[in-house]
Amino acid sequence: MTDRNARWSDLLRRGMRGDGAAYAAFLSEITPVIRGIVRARTGGAEDGEDVVQEVLLAVHSKRHTWREEEPVTPWLYAIARYKAADAGRRRGRQGPQVPIDDLAEVLPEETGETTAARDLGRLLDRIDGRAARIVRAVGVEGRSSGEVAAEMDMSEGAVRVAYHRALLRLKDLAGAED
Amino acid sequence: MKTDDLISMLAQDAAPPAAAPVGQRAVAGLAAGFAVAVVLYALTLGPRPLLAEHLRDPLVLAKTVLPLALSGLALMLGLRAVRPGVAAGGAGRAIWAVPAVLAGLVVWALVTTPQGEMWRDWVGHSIPVCLPAITLLSMPLLAGLLAALRRGAPTRPALAGMLAGLASAGLATALYSTFCTEDSPLFYATWYTLGILIAASVGALAGARVLRW
Repeated sequence: MTDRNARWSDLLRRGMRGDGAAYAAFLSEITPVIRGIVRARTGGAEDGEDVVQEVLLAVHSKRHTWREEEPVTPWLYAIARYKAADAGRRRGRQGPQVPIDDLAEVLPEETGETTAARDLGRLLDRIDGRAARIVRAVGVEGRSSGEVAAEMDMSEGAVRVAYHRALLRLKDLAGAED
Repeated sequence: MKTDDLISMLAQDAAPPAAAPVGQRAVAGLAAGFAVAVVLYALTLGPRPLLAEHLRDPLVLAKTVLPLALSGLALMLGLRAVRPGVAAGGAGRAIWAVPAVLAGLVVWALVTTPQGEMWRDWVGHSIPVCLPAITLLSMPLLAGLLAALRRGAPTRPALAGMLAGLASAGLATALYSTFCTEDSPLFYATWYTLGILIAASVGALAGARVLRW
């Protein structure tokens, strides 16, 4: 346990200083552990992997709340438990989720393009305006995340993360409507 | 998207963007809120006559110092509450010293106040000013603090919001106490506390919404 803590702390510390390889190793090594926590907390639901991804995104977007002198596992597990519980509550409210893999799949397959566009428009109205703009630009208009980043005065990474997060949210909304 | 793809995408963005730590933002948010509260205070209340002389009385000083101590400790706890996996620590025990000291002052007042004056000291004459003033002066502080804490990651958003409410109300109450002429612990232990608890409840309700992530 201590070994793992020391190793993960080291990888994350290097990652936060810009070492992408160390950061990738950190995320890869914590993923199976997160998967375990999520499975235990959500009772092995079908959309478990979505929740795992939500936890990874949460770890990523809140990585500045970890302090180098503190052990990384309590921090990590607290995030995983919080996000798993959050997903559990959401599922409880919305009923079973439909696993879908990309923006196109947010929409019902059998509908024609006009309906699809309208459905997407309706779903996009329900997420935060900035996120909706990113989905429109990247997912619908097919523009590069770099271009969108420059336009919205964000880093390219932040645009990619916001895009992914918005997709997960749209999936949730689409699932809730079925 | 596959989880592995997500990981490679996130790894391209390893270093977090440079930004002020949550603690600094929290202090800045509180300071901005406090500035608004001071303006409201100056426009509507203002300091009591002979404030400096009154503050030499420990019972009067306590109604300013105790809320300040509460505010500082609640802020420390709030900043810990927005970091996942971090326990409350010593501040979590120390904060109970504030109600303990206050209870001591109440006992002292109960012993020393003549029977006939107790009721008058307890209800005072300014409850309709005291309660709304403490609650309302807390709000700009609470708004500034909550905005700052959003950058943190509270795993119990309502608790973090309540602590933000206590930190804000503590400062607002210390400010209000320089206007208030009710100097019996029987008065301020009851009505200040009630005002602070109202602000803390607002903080908890707001935190449950705005501090989720």
